[in-house]
Amino acid sequence: MLGKERVMKIFNHEKPDRMPCFCVNGTPTYEQMEKVGAFWPEGHERAEDMAKLAIAAYTVLGFDAVRAPFCQTFEAEALGCKVKLGGKENIPGIDHPTLYKLDDIPVLPDDFLKRGRIPQLIEAVRIMKREVGDKVAVIGGIIGPFTIAGAMLDAVPILKASFKTPDKLRPFLDVAEKAGTMLGQALVDAGADMIAVEDMQASPDLIAPHTYRDLELEYQKKQVEALSVPVILHICGNVDKIIGFMHETGCAGISLEPKSDTKLARKIVGTNVALIGGVDAATTLFMKGPDDVKDASREQIEMGLDVLAPGCAIAPGTPTANLLAMVEVAKEYTYL
Amino acid sequence: MKYLTDYSNIFTRYDLNIEVARQAARKVSKDELLQKVADSVVRGDDEESAKLTKEALQKKSPMDVINEGLIPGMNEVSRLWDEGVYFLPQVILASDAMNAGIALCEEAMGKAMDKKGKVVTHTAEGDIHDIGQVIVNALLNANGFEVINLGADVPVDKVVEACRVNNPVMVTGTALMTTTMTAFPKIASQLKRLGLNIPFVCGGGAVSEEYVTSFELGIWGKEANQAPGMAEDALSGDNWQAMRGKWNG
Repeated sequence: MLGKERVMKIFNHEKPDRMPCFCVNGTPTYEQMEKVGAFWPEGHERAEDMAKLAIAAYTVLGFDAVRAPFCQTFEAEALGCKVKLGGKENIPGIDHPTLYKLDDIPVLPDDFLKRGRIPQLIEAVRIMKREVGDKVAVIGGIIGPFTIAGAMLDAVPILKASFKTPDKLRPFLDVAEKAGTMLGQALVDAGADMIAVEDMQASPDLIAPHTYRDLELEYQKKQVEALSVPVILHICGNVDKIIGFMHETGCAGISLEPKSDTKLARKIVGTNVALIGGVDAATTLFMKGPDDVKDASREQIEMGLDVLAPGCAIAPGTPTANLLAMVEVAKEYTYL
Repeated sequence: MKYLTDYSNIFTRYDLNIEVARQAARKVSKDELLQKVADSVVRGDDEESAKLTKEALQKKSPMDVINEGLIPGMNEVSRLWDEGVYFLPQVILASDAMNAGIALCEEAMGKAMDKKGKVVTHTAEGDIHDIGQVIVNALLNANGFEVINLGADVPVDKVVEACRVNNPVMVTGTALMTTTMTAFPKIASQLKRLGLNIPFVCGGGAVSEEYVTSFELGIWGKEANQAPGMAEDALSGDNWQAMRGKWNG
């Protein structure tokens, strides 16, 4: 069975030959860069390099899906935020000064999809589809409303406003949702089979669960409904307190860090949603060896996962051997 | 000894009843007005806490308002955070409310209140992913430490200079990437050279215990919410070896 079929069967609620293995978040590592001859920062800004690095997840690691981009700054940059690329080794981030103050009126530029590095990302997905789209699933990555709004306003102001003046955040969440959805649909048009939404700042590590329920949920729901392909929702940290609300977004898959209770998640979302996750990207995949990776993978699968995956973006220094060990474990779990 | 005074939250499922987040403070002061001051801190209302502090200062000494109203209110917030009832925004707002009150008390005293101690915080050079540091700053502030916040992408020399000038009880560094955490041993060795044996807590993303404990002064911070406990230890005079022994390994 091809990886693509394996992944699509999961989202069609059918049994594949075995458990799929891929990453909902960024996949590049320094070792993969050497192998495929594409590097950062070009991999963050040029379509050819981006596609090459994304495809390495299939050709080097044997994942069942490939995914671009590898940072969380595309929408924010196109909205006008200052981005620092990070050179050969680091992941791009949002730089100061912050774009907006709370009382400003945020603007979604008409030419949003032509701004910043977005045209390169769209082209990269087109290349990925052309090169490996018949063998593996192609995932386009966008950023969730609260996280984009956080980039526009900066962390402390948005956190304070989430309690003091939540209604002032609505125009920002509205623009952020539209920006993400517009990018997501463009990536689908370019060939993405699925969309992964990363919404780091919507984590209970940062905002209160009722803020997620009363403020963010409505925008995420809108986004999931607007996108014509299965959507995977990824929120960092322990999401036990919001897992039910994440389910309410209507997403097809939820990506979990092992900090969350996978068993609880399974109980709450039932069998309609694919649970994706398994191995802590930092403390296990990056810092430990293949045996620990295998143990951690098996332990999490037993708690009810549908897809084995790193719990977050793969740290670029992660050894290939650890990632291959994870794929090996996925192969043990057959359904035939 | 602590006595149980409120039974209402026993067996409350916070995952089902998340609106419990807006509850009032327990009784922390015998004085009605100071209790109101404390309540305003627990609610994270800086305008209200300023107004009530002004009122309280008509009848009470500034130190009484601080010690029997503002700080006990913040201690309640710490408890609610520890119990998972409060979340980060509430902690940030509550410490703003406390600080608004303290500023008025300081004005009335004509001098600054003695803070517990200073902590220098920064995110490593080349790294602008500072969300971990945002959490550390909020929790240290909330626990009464004076935070010297150097922000993100801070050069090694600037961290060392801030330590030299401020003589903090502790310094923290956060880094998302293994490539930027290489600044930490450089900072540690410069601090050593200047004779500044300040416990240096490092954590975040891909920063491992093994790495941080490979250089002198280094203590690995697993989670941002360990920061206040570590700062208390540093304040009580624990050196970096003792702190590493307690928090790592």
